[in-house]
Amino acid sequence: MTRMQREEWQDIVRDVDWAFAYADDEAVFPEWQSGTGSVPREAWKDWEEGYKITYPEYVAVQREKETSVFAVKAALQRSKVFDDLDEGWKSTAKAHFGATSLIEYIGMIGELRMARFGLNGGWRNMAVMGALDEIRHAQISLAFAHEFVPKDPQYDWALKAYQTNNWAIIAARRLLDGITCDANVVDVAIQLPLIFETGFTNLQFVGMAADALASGDINFANMISSIQTDEARHAQQGGPTIEILMKHDPARAQWVADKMFWLTGRVFAILTGPAMDYYTPLAHRKQSYKEFMEEWIITQYMRTLNDYGLKKPWYWDQFLENLETTHHALHLGVWFTRPTVWWKPQAGVSRAERAWLNQKYPHWEELYGEYWDVITHNINRGEMASTLPETLPWICNTCQLPICTHTSSPDGKWRVRNFAHTHDGRQHHFCSDVCRTIWQEDHDTLHMKTMVERLLAGDVQPPDIPGLLGYMGITPDVAGDDAYGYKWAAEYLPGKAAE
Amino acid sequence: MENAVGPVLRMCDEVEFIIRAIEDDNPDGVVEVVDRGAYVRVQMPGFMRLTQVSLERHLGSTFKLYQLEGMMASFAGRITTSSDQIVWKLNATGKTG
Repeated sequence: MTRMQREEWQDIVRDVDWAFAYADDEAVFPEWQSGTGSVPREAWKDWEEGYKITYPEYVAVQREKETSVFAVKAALQRSKVFDDLDEGWKSTAKAHFGATSLIEYIGMIGELRMARFGLNGGWRNMAVMGALDEIRHAQISLAFAHEFVPKDPQYDWALKAYQTNNWAIIAARRLLDGITCDANVVDVAIQLPLIFETGFTNLQFVGMAADALASGDINFANMISSIQTDEARHAQQGGPTIEILMKHDPARAQWVADKMFWLTGRVFAILTGPAMDYYTPLAHRKQSYKEFMEEWIITQYMRTLNDYGLKKPWYWDQFLENLETTHHALHLGVWFTRPTVWWKPQAGVSRAERAWLNQKYPHWEELYGEYWDVITHNINRGEMASTLPETLPWICNTCQLPICTHTSSPDGKWRVRNFAHTHDGRQHHFCSDVCRTIWQEDHDTLHMKTMVERLLAGDVQPPDIPGLLGYMGITPDVAGDDAYGYKWAAEYLPGKAAE
Repeated sequence: MENAVGPVLRMCDEVEFIIRAIEDDNPDGVVEVVDRGAYVRVQMPGFMRLTQVSLERHLGSTFKLYQLEGMMASFAGRITTSSDQIVWKLNATGKTG
């Protein structure tokens, strides 16, 4: 029997809007959830996804994906591949598992909200499949990490991280809560599918797969790129939403996109930047973080945003400038505060690695070299206490990351500037004028206490490093340390310089 | 490549066959392939199509267009899917094939 083409019947099941007889539209789609704003309610009838799939097709494809990924996992389970992986690379995987496994769960909440409050039946259907996708991503990430827990307890943070108040998780949770939970679903469709998933997850889940495969982590490369095949589909909820918003309220579209592009970029700078430029073994780096950003974000992604009529963000020049600096400063901070993280940061500053960094980032030595020189000197003198933190760095009130943004000064030196703002008699601190502007506009929905504010408020007891580690859920068996046990510093010992 | 559009394929056995199908479906343009190991960019400026007919020719009659999703980790441009073909394009270029 010849089957009907999908186009001949799909609207019957995807276009399920009807006129309500017993309830007001506002009661079914309340403004605070659905968020049409100044866009006429009827305008959402034009919402149409370009990427169409039926539920039977969805189930068939997802089954194939799962079968394929778990077949590779089963085959490698009996091999020694994991034991042979570089310790620096493993930290990329451990940081990823902890930071993203349950982000997928938060993503599911955003999808479910769109599945309920989206203003078009086709949108709601697409979001249902998006929610199922995110459940898959959380489960597959936890399953893959769980295999390694008996070998290394840091993998247990795939499940544990989001149950803690670890500083890195506060930053990630603040971003994802802001994307999926605080906003109405029109803004969610811009923030989650269009900005987070169409843009930055490509970097972490496809770009990173290139480094993973080169580093021999076939399992991880296979898992993350499989996850992104789901994202490539359900991220298409963003396109039709931005088209309608650009037609009726372009200022809102631009602001929501600009705001979340910046905030998402900050978190990926600390998650993906060090992984690509420091943790991945030098011989296996396919490109630098900046080059991956140029490929995925500056070229591919910005071209798409431009095609929807969006302009470059107001801080675009600053964003490009920060690609040379921000993740290097954040890496320096993560390595210095290594007992506070659930992975082992690879310093990545051997002579060969520094040469590579200077080739990729012409100002690296000038901006960061002397700090690593001091750290290396202290390691080689056995003064390890000088390489460890005694307190917290200042944390940005918007992005929740350490304030370490490079700003140029007349003498060419790196200056960390604090961008302050007083509100209701209280001073807040920001890493940049962009984070300060976002906070000024959105502080009611985005504000969350920083780790420093928690310390000063007495939430952390005792108010010292052991107290902070306890507050952050870090136990001695998972506290981070240098990936290579500081062996890299030996080549800088006196007498070795000429070699 | 200016205004590149097209799929980014993850590592799988079918990559070469999909590239051949794309070349068949876009005879008037040059299909550029960028291989980064774990992923392969297949791209053309402004417009690209992939049809069910070409996929069947290279991957067998049981392969359906929607199954491409399992291999496509990302794509450049805007996408439109139907039972017969997938199109990637940028509206700004005005190209319609």
